[in-house]
Amino acid sequence: MNKRQSRVFAIACTGIAALAFLILTLDSHRQFGKLTNAENITPAVTAGKDVWHDNNCINCHTLFGEGAYYAPDLTKITQLRGEQYLHAYMRDPARFYNEQTHRRLMPKQDLSDEDIANLIAFLDWVSKVDNQGWPPRPILVTGASIPGTDLTTSQQAHPTQQESAGLPPGARTVTQGDDPIALGQALFRSVAPACNACHSTAPRVNLAGPTLAGIAARSEQLVGSAEYKGSAKDALGYIRESILSPSAHIIPGPMYSANGQSFMPNTYEQNLTTEQIDQLVAFLATLK
Amino acid sequence: MRYRSQAVAYWYFAVAMVLFGLQLVFGLLSAAKYLGPDPLLYILPFDVTKVIHTNLLIVWVLTGFMGATYWMVPDESRTELHSVKLAYIQLGLWVVMGVTAIIGYLFRWGTGNKLLEQPLPHKIVIVIVMLMFLYNVGMTIKKSGRFTTTEGVLLLGIGSAAVLYLPALLHYENYTVSIFYRWWTIHLWVEGVWEMIQGGFLAYLLIRLSGADREVMEKWLYVIVGLVFFAGILGTAHHYYWVGVPQYWLPIGGFFSALEPLALVGMAMYAYGAMRRSGLAHPNTLALHWTLGSAVFTLFGAGLLGLAHTWPSVNKWTHGTLITAMHGHAAFYGAYAMIVLAMISYALPSMTHHRREQGTAIGYWAFWLQLAGMFGMTLSFATAGIGQVYLERILGLGYLDTQLKIQVHFVMLIATASLFTVGVALFIWDFFRYAPRFEVTTEVDPDMRMDAPPIPEAPRLA
Repeated sequence: MNKRQSRVFAIACTGIAALAFLILTLDSHRQFGKLTNAENITPAVTAGKDVWHDNNCINCHTLFGEGAYYAPDLTKITQLRGEQYLHAYMRDPARFYNEQTHRRLMPKQDLSDEDIANLIAFLDWVSKVDNQGWPPRPILVTGASIPGTDLTTSQQAHPTQQESAGLPPGARTVTQGDDPIALGQALFRSVAPACNACHSTAPRVNLAGPTLAGIAARSEQLVGSAEYKGSAKDALGYIRESILSPSAHIIPGPMYSANGQSFMPNTYEQNLTTEQIDQLVAFLATLK
Repeated sequence: MRYRSQAVAYWYFAVAMVLFGLQLVFGLLSAAKYLGPDPLLYILPFDVTKVIHTNLLIVWVLTGFMGATYWMVPDESRTELHSVKLAYIQLGLWVVMGVTAIIGYLFRWGTGNKLLEQPLPHKIVIVIVMLMFLYNVGMTIKKSGRFTTTEGVLLLGIGSAAVLYLPALLHYENYTVSIFYRWWTIHLWVEGVWEMIQGGFLAYLLIRLSGADREVMEKWLYVIVGLVFFAGILGTAHHYYWVGVPQYWLPIGGFFSALEPLALVGMAMYAYGAMRRSGLAHPNTLALHWTLGSAVFTLFGAGLLGLAHTWPSVNKWTHGTLITAMHGHAAFYGAYAMIVLAMISYALPSMTHHRREQGTAIGYWAFWLQLAGMFGMTLSFATAGIGQVYLERILGLGYLDTQLKIQVHFVMLIATASLFTVGVALFIWDFFRYAPRFEVTTEVDPDMRMDAPPIPEAPRLA
């Protein structure tokens, strides 16, 4: 190959690749609307996108896996956390996480309630974009789909020691001044037996008990339907009932019950205070 | 220095050095925050230090590119620059743009769009600076009437970089569409036209340092450019995984980005081959270290480590983890930081007083400490990233719990980053410790040597 031929090679390679790329770009534009549900880009979603940009969120978090790696991915966050939870969290992250235990904390942002609502609308739109099913498994913020893996080995070896007290290393010690939702979230992992020993909050992750992802929305459907056997009148009532008397309504499936008796422990009514139950319900009600 | 106007390059290099040093300050701050807790949470949070870290990188590397071009073009075209004054105005405007952008970031004045955070007025200034630069270089070449292939590749690279910046100026309502076009700038810069720029400098340095035959070098330069674009343009698809674009980008991204290392293998072979066959050994062995180092480290950081997570079925698990930071640091350093440092090391002895042509002892320490430090940082990110992928993505452990379990790798990251910083500090010290000198010397142009040894029969690179 002489120099002239190699120049032709360079030009031809570039030309062919560029042409193919442009054709594919045009075709992608044909499909963007459908894949991203463009008709759902409401003014709230657009305003939320601006909140996302103005606060430089991408330089700690990732969205669609793109951004910085200092904070969790938020692509599907609205499917893992309910709107109320996200609202309360965005008002003051320090009421949910502790910098001493996690060694990181999101600084409180200067956002109005409207900003927060718009941001959640934007993140909800993001969570519904058809992105080839990524992530393949839910990316959790804290906790674990497999119970116990968030404990240190010494905590697993000495579950009763004071310093561990059943709390994973990432879980903060909460105080009564905290948001009831945050208190409920801590109880979810610390009551005995711990809820998260059998229930995941990640979609599709069924352990000994069914996943609690979307429990609030599912409860609402269930209570209104004919197949519901319990005595609760609304979703909150149903969640409370499932904690206090698990067998009042049985979720179908041989791994969850036998002879009309749920496998879930019925000891919570005795072991927990009314206030604690309220907090647990407040937390679970945010899982929409 | 054979032309008086090449002195312009010194000031570009000096600015680049200062910004490089500053970049590391913000890099170290960001790394320390990975260990936490962060006493600066409400003064300088991570998002601010990180955006300054990455933006300084882009600004100093581009400053280095511009300086190196102003050094190289007079040499290649055998003439003075068209306008020295314009070159200085350009530098001034560029520095004002860079400094105000950084100050703005401290107050979160930016677009919040990764790597394209520059506010619109700054983006417009960037375009103006690029145009001034292209005009000045273009007029210089036109005036001289001598236009080499090496220059052509370099110029086409810089020109395309300016054109590809344009999509970044537009606003997109749909977040997915905005991601789509963001990569036209970022990807086609770093895995396309910037590689052309790197290739141009590499060819220039190899011709000067090894005395390799220009015809042969330039022929292979074309081949490399062809390979870069054949794989690189469609390789953009590996940034289109999981962002809401059609499915077909997945196999296209896998296939073409797997081809991307070919050009880098070519570049490393090209550099090594030129050294092996060289008839003339240039005394500046330090510049030679940086030149070969750049070609080899690019192959490692951009080629091998990029390949490691580019296949869709692998990337599905590694996407958005510290694995990306591993690849990003090694690739950017090898390809762009090192080639600029190579150009500086090559030009410096003739721009300063009393500097040894073959490189100073401090210069060598700077080279090896940086290399060792960056290699260690790459390994730290890699081990942290692998841990993260298995714990968080595969086992489903929460993000925050996972980060606590991989703390030891962040300790290693800070240790090796400190080593790297020492290397950079030595380089900067070595740069400034000799006073600049701007007189014209009569250095022999390898193309014009009368007593050159006969060039061994040409193409043996393949």
